Amino acid sequence: MLTLKTPAPNGVTMTGMRSLLIVDDHVGFRSWAREVLAHEGFRVVGEAGDGRTAIRLAEELQPEVVLLDIQLPDLDGFAVAEQMSLQVADQKSAGPEVVLTSGRAPEDFGRRLTDSPHGFLAKDHLSGSSLQALLEARR
Amino acid sequence: MTRRRCLALGVVVLGLAWGLSAEAVSISHRVEENHFLDFATGIGFFLGGAIAIDRRPGNRLGPLMVLNGLAWFCGNYLNVRNGWTQPVLHLGEAAQAGLLAHLVMAYPSGRLTTRFERFVCGAAYVVPVGAMALSVLTQDTSRCQACPPTPSLFPNLPHAELAHRSFLVYDRSALVLVPLFFLVLWLRWRRSSLAARRELAPLWVVAALLAAAFGLSPFASEEQNSFGYLMWELRAVLQIAVPWVFVYGLLSTRLAQSAIGGLVVDLQSPVAPGQLRVLLARTLADPSVEVVYPIGDDRWVDAEGRPLRASADDERRRTTKVERDGHPLAALIHDPALDPDLVRATAAAAGMALENERLHAELRAQLGEVRASRERIVRAGDEERRRVERDLHDGAQQRLLALSLALHSARRQLGNGELSLAGQTLDRSGQELTCAIDELRELARGIHPTILTDAGLAPAVAMAAGRMSIPVDVAVTDERYSPTAEATAYFVVSEALANVTKHAAANRAGVSVGREGAVLHVEVCDDGRGGADPARGSGLAGLEDRVTAVGGTLEVDSTPGAGTVVRVDLPCGDVS
Repeated sequence: MLTLKTPAPNGVTMTGMRSLLIVDDHVGFRSWAREVLAHEGFRVVGEAGDGRTAIRLAEELQPEVVLLDIQLPDLDGFAVAEQMSLQVADQKSAGPEVVLTSGRAPEDFGRRLTDSPHGFLAKDHLSGSSLQALLEARR
Repeated sequence: MTRRRCLALGVVVLGLAWGLSAEAVSISHRVEENHFLDFATGIGFFLGGAIAIDRRPGNRLGPLMVLNGLAWFCGNYLNVRNGWTQPVLHLGEAAQAGLLAHLVMAYPSGRLTTRFERFVCGAAYVVPVGAMALSVLTQDTSRCQACPPTPSLFPNLPHAELAHRSFLVYDRSALVLVPLFFLVLWLRWRRSSLAARRELAPLWVVAALLAAAFGLSPFASEEQNSFGYLMWELRAVLQIAVPWVFVYGLLSTRLAQSAIGGLVVDLQSPVAPGQLRVLLARTLADPSVEVVYPIGDDRWVDAEGRPLRASADDERRRTTKVERDGHPLAALIHDPALDPDLVRATAAAAGMALENERLHAELRAQLGEVRASRERIVRAGDEERRRVERDLHDGAQQRLLALSLALHSARRQLGNGELSLAGQTLDRSGQELTCAIDELRELARGIHPTILTDAGLAPAVAMAAGRMSIPVDVAVTDERYSPTAEATAYFVVSEALANVTKHAAANRAGVSVGREGAVLHVEVCDDGRGGADPARGSGLAGLEDRVTAVGGTLEVDSTPGAGTVVRVDLPCGDVS
């Protein structure tokens, strides 16, 4: 049984599903990811197509998990994740669990990825269960 | 004999006549002075004047020296004591200081350059001549038995006191004028270049000593003592030196020209790149000489082929262009004080060496251009690969990833028995797949269209033209060319058409491709706004690099408002 770290915002009925923000500039991929993850244990609370929108929505919607594409048109995923953790430090809240994702192989990002405190899930392996497994492993 | 030379000869004859008769007057009146020294000084001015008239026509130095010579002997003729010539001779003698100062200050250009110089020169004329004129007009000659009667233009003027005071002003004016004269020399020395100083030095040393002697002479003029005698002797010796220093200065161009002989000898052995500049600097006695070479239209490089900006003449530098058979060969950038004839003669003597170094510089410049263009081609290739990688990731791969998620969804839906939903998901997957295939096809065509390899330029160009949003007239024959020529020609057409779409705002475009001998002509034109410049736009520069790399040439004709024509000639080799 999963427990929520923070109360769900805006009076949304709490369920056992974790709230999720999907950040990806490719509309087609985003909508399919929503379709898949919404049916596989996640409550998708929002979508963002670029880094700045993602930072704003993360503050507004307070999702438990952010699925964050590394390559975005404005900021890259690493910078977005860092901004999100700075925001959290200001608010003294636990903040979302960020999972970085990309269509590229993880080796393409070198030490930036290996040194990152966040998890990484390749887009071609994305599913509800793989995301759950990653989050469990990082507990 | 030229008119100029006749004039110079006339000056010498006049000088001899004027000087010899002046000495004859002095001798017949038993004037106690060294007649030979006096004559040598005066005739020196005439000789210098003659040389200057011959060698430097248009320069005021010649006439100024002749006037100095005329003024020099005025004192001798005063002994004749003719009432009508007396005042004129007095004034001529008084003008001598001004003439001499003028001569020194105007050397070697013949012109006074600053307002201060003109002021001092004017004062050197006006003060002594004015004071002398007043003295002559007011002196009372009736009490002097030996004096000739002066023309009584102003019968009421005789005034012994005024005459005496005027004469004192005349006599003492040197006290003010000499320091001013020194100030002029000092100011000019300060702003003179090294070469100019070298030319000025001998004259100015003598002139400065002479001016000092003049400046001290008022202290000696009252009575005949040993100091006065020393000053008088010093002035006599220095005054002889002045015209002869001028003569030396005028002849020194000839001396410098003899250095050209040394240059010719030096140039017999091979000259290392950059060494020519050193030799020319030595010959011209100007260490600042630079040698630059023209390549192409109005582009200049140094001996190493490094590009330079063409600079206009200014006060500090002068440019002398060297031509051979009407074509620019080189340009010497040098001190403006150098004699233009000497510079031209030196450049002429170094003609062959300049030609060699120009070829060397041109080769270096071309090598530099090839290197730069090669770098740009490599960079363009890298950028192209990055673009392809980005296009693959952002386009087809994203669609395939979405497709993978869609199939994942369909499997779940099938597992749940949601057959209708699964069907919809699979339909959308099919669309996603079609899009991915289209994007891959488009990308591959951008890299190299298969139709070009399979069917040649004509259908490939027709296809590129067909993708344009404006009508394009295509005139391409079905002939096949070498793969390199076809690929380059296609690249030119597609890039030029892409530029038409991006920049031209045209209503119509045209493409023609045709062979003439071993050259493939490619032309892309439009009726758009024009104003394209290969030097500014990286697109056209990339096109030029690509064309140059296969030995072709690119020409862009793009007058603002009159459309753009890109013409490319490519070596097309054998028909394959």
